Amino acid sequence: MKKYVSLAVCSMQNTLSYRLSFVLNFLGSFIALLATYFLWRAIYDGQSELAGFDWNQMKSYLLVTFFANSMLSYYSESGITNKVMDGTVAMDLLKPLNFQKARLAESLGSCVLEGLLSAVLISVLAIAAFGIPMPVDGVSGILFAISMLSSILVKFGIVYCTALICFYTTSGFGVIWARMAVTNLLSGALVPFAFFPDWLRNVAMALPFQGIVNTPTTIFLGMSDTREAILLIAVQWFWIAALWLLGRSMWGWAVRQITIHGG
Amino acid sequence: MTRTTLSVRNTPRRILFLYRRLFGQQLKAILEYSSDFYVMIGAAAFTQIVGFLFLWVVFSRIPVIQGWGFWEVAFMYAMIYFSEGVGSLFFEGTWRMLRLVNMGELDRYLVRPMPIVLQIFCTGIGMNGIGNIAIGGAIIGMSLYHVDIDWSITSVLSALVVLASALAVRIGINLAANCSAFWIRTSGNAFPIMVHNMGEFAKYPITIYSLGLQLFLALGVPFAFVSFVPAAVLFGKEDWAAYGWLSPLAAAYVFGIALLLLRIGLRRYESSGN
Repeated sequence: MKKYVSLAVCSMQNTLSYRLSFVLNFLGSFIALLATYFLWRAIYDGQSELAGFDWNQMKSYLLVTFFANSMLSYYSESGITNKVMDGTVAMDLLKPLNFQKARLAESLGSCVLEGLLSAVLISVLAIAAFGIPMPVDGVSGILFAISMLSSILVKFGIVYCTALICFYTTSGFGVIWARMAVTNLLSGALVPFAFFPDWLRNVAMALPFQGIVNTPTTIFLGMSDTREAILLIAVQWFWIAALWLLGRSMWGWAVRQITIHGG
Repeated sequence: MTRTTLSVRNTPRRILFLYRRLFGQQLKAILEYSSDFYVMIGAAAFTQIVGFLFLWVVFSRIPVIQGWGFWEVAFMYAMIYFSEGVGSLFFEGTWRMLRLVNMGELDRYLVRPMPIVLQIFCTGIGMNGIGNIAIGGAIIGMSLYHVDIDWSITSVLSALVVLASALAVRIGINLAANCSAFWIRTSGNAFPIMVHNMGEFAKYPITIYSLGLQLFLALGVPFAFVSFVPAAVLFGKEDWAAYGWLSPLAAAYVFGIALLLLRIGLRRYESSGN
């Protein structure tokens, strides 16, 4: 356990020492948030509500989504694929560490900074421009916090399994892009599920992606009662476990595919 | 040998010839790794389709956003991806500038009797561009079909001028942003990617933004000329169509800045010792 904790601390320090890239990357996703904010503002111009969301709820939705998405960002994700792409995974194979647990530790380490930075930015925005209603009572606040943490683990499961695909394709960017596109649509990051046609909503609810954005936002906006919220979190944990096992069996298959360049 | 026999005139014809040759060489290189770019092409096309679905979902709730219909916004959206595709397929080298500078590979380019910009442009090929061009082109085609446009010789000509300028603006922005390689000595090109992300704004009509942002998108990093102005010209939006005349100027402005940055940057360039 101790060695994984120190890995997490290491990855935090690593992020700090490349802070310029980290902050610029972060600003990049912030631009996307601004663009969608203005788009939705124009859409709500003259509409009191759309698909059960009023403008205030939509603003909260955008901010919670931004928070969830800034966790385990492109920055830490490409860290995992790069190991596979440039062959440094060979070094990891020599270490007496479980590859999957070590990557989880590193991802969580940089998540702390990603979380802090976006929390600061979101609070500034919330106070300055957006004016967001916070979860009303303590219980839903706690449930939201739990669902947010679980969201990171679901995302890790998906990111890790995708990264292992790179053993086979030897193309990092393409796989990450494709994963981002799928996740954006099916997690509810682009648009709340309530806007989807029924069939697409059913498909999305049956897949793990909804645990990343849809679950925390639904709980934050108080669109589920306590019982439903607990059920949603249980579904998140089902996927966390399933993706972890999938990742483990994929790793067993992937190391046999390994191609290391040079010596 | 006298000096006159060595000097070469860079006529447009020679530049085109050189471009074809350099591009052909890169193509041979990249075709060696084909499984790689099928994934890239697929991913690029897929990303774009997902974004298109988003627009469709939104517009199924309300038909018009500030006077712009679904296919008009879809056109702007597609222009951003189409221009990105043209940039990656034919001018991907701009994105390799960081490596050229950090590894000292620019040395090679500086001693050849060809324009350095041409050599930078031909430093690579982004096969993902094919996916963007195909899907972007298809959405552009569909939106031109769905929106009523009076086609005449003048409208076709002005459309061509505006579209060509749009592509030039986009490539100029890429080049200018990547010149940051001379100043920011990090391992990743986070700064140009951030500038690239500003294109997000131009996926939607810029009238939805606050005045400051609108000015920034028109005068600062003029992404408005990549998508919004062409849309206004093509779809005959009277309030904005007049800006179409400024499109070639915007292209000249962006390229001017990019070349200036490249010049100043090259003066700072200090190769790498090995």
